[in-house]
Amino acid sequence: MFNKENKLERFKDAETIIGASIKVKGNFQGQGNIIIEGMLEGSVKTEADLFIGENAKIIANVESKDASVNGEVNGNLKIHGYLALGGTAKITGDIQYKELSIERGATINGQLLILSESDRHRENKKPEDKNVETER
Amino acid sequence: MHVYIYDEFLNKTKHSRAINRLEIRLTDLGLNGKIIRLGGIKNIKGTIQNEIKLGAKTIIAVGNNQTVNKIMGAIIDTEIYGDFQKKTLLGLIPVGDDNSIASTFGIKNIEEACNILLARRVEKIDLGLVGSYYFLNQASIQSQGTTLEIDDYSLEMSEKGEVRIINLLSDQKETIKSNPHDGKLDILIRTRRRDESIITVKKLKIINPQEKLIIDGVLEINTPVEIGIMRDKVNVIVGKDRLFE
Repeated sequence: MFNKENKLERFKDAETIIGASIKVKGNFQGQGNIIIEGMLEGSVKTEADLFIGENAKIIANVESKDASVNGEVNGNLKIHGYLALGGTAKITGDIQYKELSIERGATINGQLLILSESDRHRENKKPEDKNVETER
Repeated sequence: MHVYIYDEFLNKTKHSRAINRLEIRLTDLGLNGKIIRLGGIKNIKGTIQNEIKLGAKTIIAVGNNQTVNKIMGAIIDTEIYGDFQKKTLLGLIPVGDDNSIASTFGIKNIEEACNILLARRVEKIDLGLVGSYYFLNQASIQSQGTTLEIDDYSLEMSEKGEVRIINLLSDQKETIKSNPHDGKLDILIRTRRRDESIITVKKLKIINPQEKLIIDGVLEINTPVEIGIMRDKVNVIVGKDRLFE
């Protein structure tokens, strides 16, 4: 789970950090925790947790286990665990999640959809379906 | 049999006292061996390869990072590499400047290097590959204008700073942990405003038409160039204070 206090702790554990001055283009995939403070265009997917910083700008579909979003995302989010939207988060796209918290100030322009148990079961049984991304 | 490869720059008189000290210490410890001085030798590769063919148990680079690179360049991807990997250890004795590779292995000075040779603590180390060159520590380039192509994505940098492709970390103060046994390279990008990025990869392509890539601090090459890693490629004699597990 995420909160402002534990960000520093997780920072040490993150396998991948995209700094504020970096621009990523393409399909970015990882197995460990990812922190994005810069710009990303394409898609981002990890089997672990994702942290999107306040000044980050993501034009991509996003998929992860838990996620904390504090920046701008233009794309769909599919979060298999807990999603925390910070007060500076600005989402334009549909959001699928298991658990959700939204801080005052966050803006969402899209649908909120709870990932049901059957969705998750189906994904576990048919891993090839995991890569299917919603058309934007 | 120990074979000591003395780099060309050790012929300068300013290093003669250090070399005398080294040779006395090696004699005291019973570590004497054959000495090959690269100064004046035209076919460096052939000379080193010949020593391995003749059955050298330990090849010891006496000099700096460049000396190690010369030895690596003479061995890897040649017909004698199989013999080298099975039978030969690489040792280092740092003399002069630019000795980050020796520091990484926990070898700080001549005296320590001799004791470490005697102790023979051996680690298998990955080797970075840049085109036809090899590196133990890192390859680095200025970040401004650099593009890295990795798998299915690319990274673009517009700010001034440094990109380091690390196999073996040479600076104990660094925040990242780099493992020279994992078959992976760690990319560390640090810009002037202390903005930091870290990515772990197996291979990448590096492009910057304006800047050169510097390998282990000694060799400059033009980009674009592909960088990869070869796992457990070299058996190195290391100190207990080495900068990796």
